[in-house]
Amino acid sequence: MNTYYAANLLIYAGVDIIAVLALNLQFGVSGIVNFSFIVFQAAGAYAAAVLSMPPHTAAEYSFQVYVGGYQLPFPIPWIGGALAGALLAIPVGLVVLRKLRSDYQAIALLVTSIIANTVINNARPFLNGAAGLALIPQPLQDQVDTYGDSYLYLYIGLTAVCVGLVWFLAARIVNSPYGRTLRAMREHELAATALGKNPVALKMTMFIVGGAIAGLSGAILVGFLTVWAPSTWLYPETIILFAALIVGGRGNNLGAILGALLVPVGFEEVTRLLIRMNIGPPNLIPALEWVAIGLFILGFLWFRPEGVRPEPRRVFEGSPDVEVVDRVRTA
Amino acid sequence: MLVAEDVHRHFEGMHAVDGVSLEVPRGQITGLIGPNGAGKSTFMAVVAGTLPASSGTILFEGEDITRLPTYRRARRGLVRTFQLPSEFARLTVLENLLVAAPQNRGDSLFGALMGKRFWIKDEERLVTEARGLLKRFGMSAKESDYAGLMSGGQKRLIEIMRALMLHPRCLLLDEPMSGVHPRVIEQIQHYLQSLRADGLTILMVEHELHLVEQLCDSVFVMAQGKLIGSGTMASLRRQREIVDAYLVG
Amino acid sequence: MSIFAAAFGFGLVSMSVIAIAAVGFTMQFGITNMINLAYGQVMISSAYVAYYINRAGITIWVGMIAGAFFGAAFSFLLNRLVYAPFQRKGTSYLGMVIVSLAVSLMIANLLLPIVGYFSVSYSEHAGSLVRLGDIVLTNNQIAIIALSVAVMLGIHALLRYTRLGKAMRATAANPTLARNCGIPTQRVIDMVWLITGALCGLAGVVAALNSDSFVISSGAGFLITALAAAVLGGAGQPYGAMIGAVIIGLVTELSAAAWSPEYKEVVAFGILVLVMVLRPQGLLAKRGALAAAG
Repeated sequence: MNTYYAANLLIYAGVDIIAVLALNLQFGVSGIVNFSFIVFQAAGAYAAAVLSMPPHTAAEYSFQVYVGGYQLPFPIPWIGGALAGALLAIPVGLVVLRKLRSDYQAIALLVTSIIANTVINNARPFLNGAAGLALIPQPLQDQVDTYGDSYLYLYIGLTAVCVGLVWFLAARIVNSPYGRTLRAMREHELAATALGKNPVALKMTMFIVGGAIAGLSGAILVGFLTVWAPSTWLYPETIILFAALIVGGRGNNLGAILGALLVPVGFEEVTRLLIRMNIGPPNLIPALEWVAIGLFILGFLWFRPEGVRPEPRRVFEGSPDVEVVDRVRTA
Repeated sequence: MLVAEDVHRHFEGMHAVDGVSLEVPRGQITGLIGPNGAGKSTFMAVVAGTLPASSGTILFEGEDITRLPTYRRARRGLVRTFQLPSEFARLTVLENLLVAAPQNRGDSLFGALMGKRFWIKDEERLVTEARGLLKRFGMSAKESDYAGLMSGGQKRLIEIMRALMLHPRCLLLDEPMSGVHPRVIEQIQHYLQSLRADGLTILMVEHELHLVEQLCDSVFVMAQGKLIGSGTMASLRRQREIVDAYLVG
Repeated sequence: MSIFAAAFGFGLVSMSVIAIAAVGFTMQFGITNMINLAYGQVMISSAYVAYYINRAGITIWVGMIAGAFFGAAFSFLLNRLVYAPFQRKGTSYLGMVIVSLAVSLMIANLLLPIVGYFSVSYSEHAGSLVRLGDIVLTNNQIAIIALSVAVMLGIHALLRYTRLGKAMRATAANPTLARNCGIPTQRVIDMVWLITGALCGLAGVVAALNSDSFVISSGAGFLITALAAAVLGGAGQPYGAMIGAVIIGLVTELSAAAWSPEYKEVVAFGILVLVMVLRPQGLLAKRGALAAAG
């Protein structure tokens, strides 16, 4: 196992952890079934790409066409990626979350994901269509040498900082009274509304926050891969993230991390290992990997629907012996 | 306090509520009775904003709230409970109450991100308040259990306590006693009476007429979407057409 | 103007294909409350069944019948072996969507090693050309249109005039009430899976026949057009799905003629978004055949 391989693994793990934490805020805590999650990651990746690339008229880049091309230095592309995810969440959320019934929302978001992919795939002048973007600059490539191992360590460090930041924010949200309100909405939206909670505002907020985090994960990924195309964000990618969350434990940040390590990272590595060991024809293994992921989801939903690390039951300190307080605001 | 003027609610050509006008007096417990399918629950839903009114006006404390969404009505102090159990199943009993409390600094994205120190005072105050209610309803021992695991009667209590956490001015109770143990019914009854003594206004739908008679200061009767009578329970019992409407359904 | 006439002709064919798929999908949802995202994979599996029959030298029209039978059996088993047990276990609505997605992934990837990665097509003469003014269609295309019209009329008759259709509508409106009224809801639901499964299989073969060639991944595309038409018409509403199919079929082909074929999905998506904004419950929200009052 060489350094590049290990670095690759760690960076993928970081990106997946960030993504699953965001999905946990949306689906695990708030109950929003965002089947277009991967689109927000893609938005972040594309945004980071066009923010860091030179205009497509530049000599080395003339084989592709795309909008923008601003050559902005790190960390602006990453911030821009997060911003793009958040901005995209606003129109999508306004259309989907405001009026549609929740089961309908899931379908609408799935359709959105597939059609967004088709649109980008076909509309070449926008983001170079099916061929995708290539030669995307890496963070700090003008300042440091990107070929050595030390750059890999640097990239791992940057990813880890982002993981830490997202984990910190997610933990604060989940463990706060606000997180409790989100969980209440997930459990019974109508009742939460009758208690003065505005479900559309709550969902929109989580859609935007989750979109921003997804966008950040895309920016990190694209800075490492230096290429990005519609084939990297097909809708089954969203399903893997859902699988990770279901396996890890919905509503539990630690579960989300565990799931991210088990499903996307674990499966991908087992697949890679099997391919390297030349077991079976090369195309068969990835196909069977998907079958296994499907079985994994079904198995967990059947035997342990709450996941490896279920949402914790919150017990408050202190004895119940307290005075009766006057409850009514007399008019 | 709460006034409905010519409220209509139509579903696909069916007139579930067909021109109801009534006034719920302040500081009293008002009953809403009628046969099944009379439109009582629909009327309550329209008043609370869960369903939009097809036409008509609803005034609360003199202000037109007809166009306000449910959550805004709740924030103004007009709080409803549901006919079917509507607990937050995977929240503990105590958490169910805490969710309802307004004015918690941690109950916003900003507050949450500011961290525990920013909101812990509010939280502690509300936990004390919620525990007081739990004690009063004899549910202190259950505070850390999931609400979804409670019995039907306990879920009713949770729902009433939850509504009270909002410090409502007017409570809309949709069959608060159904499925509740007789001993608990007595508790709820006493509690509702003490709330009235504190000045709370209550409008409740109830099937058990003897409960209505004991609790309610005045009663409205609905049948087939219309208001067909009002007065005290005793006076209503003497009116032939009301008794007929009930019996005929 | 003849380019538009030609596009109109293609539109007629595509709406016929979409209608069969969309009606089957929307009925599954409307009656069994199951958003079956494996629908596209059942379609493509059926298309392959017809392909192997066709490759053995038998006409595709026989393959089509086989595809319909296969789709019916496959859907029925899928419900009995996977969906129904999960539903009985009390898996939430959205949990069921995830179950069906998992199933969809599994079907696609189990099929891949079996049928291969290369695109295939049916060997069937397109038949002679038929001209109706500026519209030029092949015999096969006319057969597809006729078949679709017949299927739609059949569904209409089933829902309106048969006991089974009435039982289906009752089950869709309120399963508990239907059961209490003596309707054998379990049998009704079995029948629904068989019928909609047959529609799904048929739609798969027809869609494959109408496209130049197909691969496993075409299944996702089939699902999306069916979904789009169903959502457009109001999910769970068979007549809504028919209208949705007409709109999507026509608009995609006409916009392809007017603008560029690359953007036809974009146009379809635009319509869908517009409907979601203006009429969130779909075009025929409460007045279709499966509505409570029906």
